[in-house]
Amino acid sequence: MSADSATHDDHTPSLWDWKRWVYSTNHKDIGTMYLIFAIFAGVIGGAMSGMIRLELAEPGLQVFNDSFKLFGMLEMGDSHNYNVMVTMHGLIMIFFMVMPAMIGGFGNWFVPLQIGAPDMAFPRMNNISFWLLPAAFGLAFMSMFVGGPAGGEGFGGGWVLYPPLSGLTGHPGPAMDLLILSLHLAGISSILGAINFITTIFNMRAPGMTMHKMPLFVWSILVTVFLLLLSLPVLAGALTMLLTDRNFGTSFFEPAGGGDPIMFQHLFWFFGHPEVYILILPGFGIISHIVSTFSKKPVFGYLGMAYAMVSIGVIGFLVWAHHMYTVGMPVDLKAYFVAATMVIAVPTGIKIFSWIATMWGGSITYRTPMMWAIGFIFLFTVGGVTGVVLANAGVDAALHDTYYVVAHFHYVLSLGAVFAIFAGWYFWFEKIFGVKYNSLLARLQFLFFFVGANVIFFPQHFLGLNGMQRRVPDYADGFANWNEISSWGYAIMGVGMIIFFLILIEAMMSRRKGEANPWGEGATTLEWTLSSPPPFHQFSTLPKIK
Amino acid sequence: MSAHAANHDYHLVDPSPWPIVGSIGAFLLAVGAVAYMTAGGLFAEGPLAFFYGDGVEGDARGTSMGMMIGFAIVIWTMFGWWGDMIKESNAGLHTPVVDLGMRYGMILFIASEVMFFVAWFWSFFEYAIFHEVRLDPGMAMFPPTGVETFDPWHIPLMNTLVLLLSGTTVTWAHHALQHDDRKGAKLGLLVTVILGVCFTALQGVEYAEAGFEFALADGGNIYGSTFYMATGFHGAHVIIGTIFLFICLLRLQFGGMSAKKHFGLEAAAWYWHFVDVVWLFLFSFVYVIYQG
Amino acid sequence: MRFLAAIALTWITATTAAMANTGIPTDGALGFQHAVTPIMERIVEFHDLLLWIIVPITLFVTALLAYVMVRYRAKANPVPSKNSHNTLLEVIWTGLPVLILMVISFYSFPLLYMSDEIPETDFTIKATGYQWYWGYEYPDHGVEQYLSNMIPEDEIVDGQERLLSVDYPLVVPLNATVRLQVTAADVIHNWAMPSFGSKIDAVPGRLNEIWFQVTELGTYYGQCSELCGRLHGYMPIEVRVVSQDVFDAWIAAEPGTDDANAILAQNTADRATRLAQLD
Ligand code: HEA
Ligand code: HEA
Ligand code: CUA
Ligand SMILES: [Cu+2]
Repeated sequence: MSADSATHDDHTPSLWDWKRWVYSTNHKDIGTMYLIFAIFAGVIGGAMSGMIRLELAEPGLQVFNDSFKLFGMLEMGDSHNYNVMVTMHGLIMIFFMVMPAMIGGFGNWFVPLQIGAPDMAFPRMNNISFWLLPAAFGLAFMSMFVGGPAGGEGFGGGWVLYPPLSGLTGHPGPAMDLLILSLHLAGISSILGAINFITTIFNMRAPGMTMHKMPLFVWSILVTVFLLLLSLPVLAGALTMLLTDRNFGTSFFEPAGGGDPIMFQHLFWFFGHPEVYILILPGFGIISHIVSTFSKKPVFGYLGMAYAMVSIGVIGFLVWAHHMYTVGMPVDLKAYFVAATMVIAVPTGIKIFSWIATMWGGSITYRTPMMWAIGFIFLFTVGGVTGVVLANAGVDAALHDTYYVVAHFHYVLSLGAVFAIFAGWYFWFEKIFGVKYNSLLARLQFLFFFVGANVIFFPQHFLGLNGMQRRVPDYADGFANWNEISSWGYAIMGVGMIIFFLILIEAMMSRRKGEANPWGEGATTLEWTLSSPPPFHQFSTLPKIK
Repeated sequence: MSAHAANHDYHLVDPSPWPIVGSIGAFLLAVGAVAYMTAGGLFAEGPLAFFYGDGVEGDARGTSMGMMIGFAIVIWTMFGWWGDMIKESNAGLHTPVVDLGMRYGMILFIASEVMFFVAWFWSFFEYAIFHEVRLDPGMAMFPPTGVETFDPWHIPLMNTLVLLLSGTTVTWAHHALQHDDRKGAKLGLLVTVILGVCFTALQGVEYAEAGFEFALADGGNIYGSTFYMATGFHGAHVIIGTIFLFICLLRLQFGGMSAKKHFGLEAAAWYWHFVDVVWLFLFSFVYVIYQG
Repeated sequence: MRFLAAIALTWITATTAAMANTGIPTDGALGFQHAVTPIMERIVEFHDLLLWIIVPITLFVTALLAYVMVRYRAKANPVPSKNSHNTLLEVIWTGLPVLILMVISFYSFPLLYMSDEIPETDFTIKATGYQWYWGYEYPDHGVEQYLSNMIPEDEIVDGQERLLSVDYPLVVPLNATVRLQVTAADVIHNWAMPSFGSKIDAVPGRLNEIWFQVTELGTYYGQCSELCGRLHGYMPIEVRVVSQDVFDAWIAAEPGTDDANAILAQNTADRATRLAQLD
């Protein structure tokens, strides 16, 4: 704990030493724990979406009907439990899968490596950022099994947690309180992480690495954590108000005491909209590296790419109420939010076109990460342009809270963010674990994911246009067709998930030794100058950047 | 071995139990708090009932046992963790670049705190300015019927002066320490801590005299909610800041910190100034401009 | 196999979707429900325009991707160029989207203001959301609140729709300009009617207003569109648009009673016979 052991820090502890992980102050070990946690949460969140798709496969209540038992034993409850399932699916995927994978996992691993630093600025604090997540997850998980609304368990009010449904009116039981505190802990974890990353990036760049020489992944994490730092405390405030409304008699969102439920929505979305860019910006960073590596060219318009992310981050704070067009806002305010929201398409377009321009003139090899990256560019564009449709308050009156929105955000999340995560995963797998994966299987996984995800989510646009509302376990018979197809898509994606685990097992069993740089001349960032896996402590002598 | 010896000034911290201990504490604190707040019978039966059961029959609150245990673990973590940091600092591990990192860290932490207060101010302004959307006529005006707001020029003004004064005394302490005048530093800090305590006491008096309630059940409404929560969170920060300064005072007393290295004191001073500025906003908007 | 069958079936139905009945979702439909108010007509028009913008953009990005993927694959282009800047290009791909967005705004804002600003209305209806049903009032006609509940699945009779039909529908006269005031008693609900282009939150402690003017006789279905708890999926909205005479008779028969429903049933039956005669 103190100075006397400082000289032992080059000694690599055994993998089986539990203290190595539990007490860790090593950014790579902590990053690995984050990745494992994300996979764990992704499997749970993915299984939950399986229950959703199973219920929606045909009209009527098949699963959440009080008598169905999963595998003949697990009771699934009624339509309230469907809402719980949707809510927890959304929360888990966002807070416990995408964020830990991108920021905690890849961020921890590669920010220090790419800026030539020996570790993060606050290695001990880094570890509590991680360990608060299982604690938060535990609370969220517990919440599903304690009282929620009258006669039900768990919180089923959607991931946006709107009061009064999330207040005593809708959910008097302790489930919501557990969930609030869960998000408090997850929020503290992210804020501490944000402080750590910003300090690391500002204070620990290797000699010669100016801000304008920083790899784009580092830029993307920098913008992301600034968004976290400034948006999460506002959510914490809103959640605290909710907590005191529920337990100490305040009336922030309680009409009886002059409070206004819409106030919560403003606070939530002031966090919530930056949050969706938090989920995608690191992905932008990852994609930039992959596209450049496999085109064997530097990134096109490096500065433009960096500042596009900065401006997406800044504008991201000014558009929150586009989620609230139907709450009864003054029309001029709506008009402002329409304009501000659409502006974001410009910097995002710059990124899309710069990626394509990076490939232009390149000498492209289609290794696994590149396939995921190209898939990302296409799918993100589809999700982005439907965002622009939703941005127009006039049409949003027809589309708000329909499956069109569900389709939009799964194209940018489940197909955008998730594809970026898998792209990063296969890009850095060898670096992280020091072994090679079977690239044939990995491409097969890509194929199943690409086809599956499109089959799930493309038809949801049609459902939304035709009026199918979100968060319902049963739907009018006229929506049956597309829903059935969507559910079949899930089966295809499920095969992809099985392949994912086969790849892990195969790589673990065959132990093909990884190379320092498997990608050749295109891979130019600092992590490729180190062995795979890198030494326990790297850069004992700091690298010099020309 | 020497080929691997660190050739840089960063501080590679040794493995530490505190993060996981703190997380477990936070988890227990949360579960305990829910059991306490809701008396909802979390684990009403079984071996955990003692910590998390519903408490007294008919009571609105459950047992606070679980919460206390969690809280104790969190406090223990803070002592252990920051104690380790002091030891590391004394061992010379906080090189100038590490010191700079901590400065970044503190500034960023304060930035996040600012955003936390944005939420409370936002709620206040929303009601103060846009109250006319409320259907209930008694709530469609500001302040709501039956609310008697404070005269800003009595206790609030006094509190303003107390905080402004404490802002200068903490600067005095800092300057004194920079010039190796430990005695002056201690005196300055002592005065600051006393002023901090005065602020808290005055606020207590003010709360006792308030012409409006906190809880809906006692006839309170949104005015009381925004007022007490905004000033209350500020008050909590005053208390935290006072403790922070007091710890610095203790460290000075026992020979810690030096004229060159005293980041703990600087961080406490920054934090104190932040608390000060938040108060100025509270005073100008909540007490003066929207006094009703 | 079932999957392929589903796709095939879908496309067949899709092509016939245009012939489907209005006011209700149609299997395999690709777009909006049939528009019956001026607002919805403009929404459909504007959305068509948006499709003409976003589909080409997506196709353009896809085409570019496909081109570079083929043209610059390692085999076809073994030596990569080192270009990483082209100011002209960067200006174009910043400026062009700006222009496109300006075109979108040019049509978007008029639609927004047109749908948001309430014109002179003939009368007012007040809707209140409850967990989990709607209450309707016609203050200008002296009609006090009556409740509108979904018909449970096992009580559905011929001509009613599962999950969509209610016991006591909302009724409005053809071509009347109606102001709808919406609020809620417990949690937030949302009054949504796809073929009207209406969607407005029912918020406790607030009163929201929208307007519509229905230009086609018929029965229209919508559903609560804000998650409101266990039975959120089971609080539909049914609107009957009838002639002024029928409306007056309905009002006189006291809405929310079986008598009033009998008038609606009679009207539906009359229409069915007349339509049958036309064939
Ligand atoms: C990763 C997450 C992510 C991302 C990146 C985005 C990106 C965008 N989103 Fe999305 N959004 C969500 C996640 C995300 N969203 C979620 C989770 C919800 C629902 C929350 C809930 O209610 O539960 C939501 C909901 C949502 C709504 C509210 C809908 C409603 O509830 O009624 C709106 C409305 O404006 C919107 C708009 C946009 C826009 C304009 C973008 C833009 O950033 C997109 C920009 C990208 C492009 C446009 C494509 C590339 C650009 C070009 C090729 C250039 C040329 C293009 C043009 C000129 C158009 N989103
Ligand atoms: C990142 C976010 C994310 C992701 C990935 C997904 C993935 C999926 N989602 Fe979900 N979804 C949301 C976020 C997400 N969703 C949100 C926010 C809501 C709204 C909630 C609300 O209304 O309140 C929602 C709602 C929602 C609905 C609407 C329910 C309703 O309104 O009634 C449906 C219905 O089909 C659905 C389906 C699916 C399906 C089939 C997938 C499939 O793609 C799932 C397949 C599984 C995966 C893709 C996970 C794989 C990843 C890993 C295993 C981790 C790997 C990690 C490393 C390699 C490090 N989701
Ligand atoms: Cu009422 Cu949803
Ligand atoms: Cu948004």
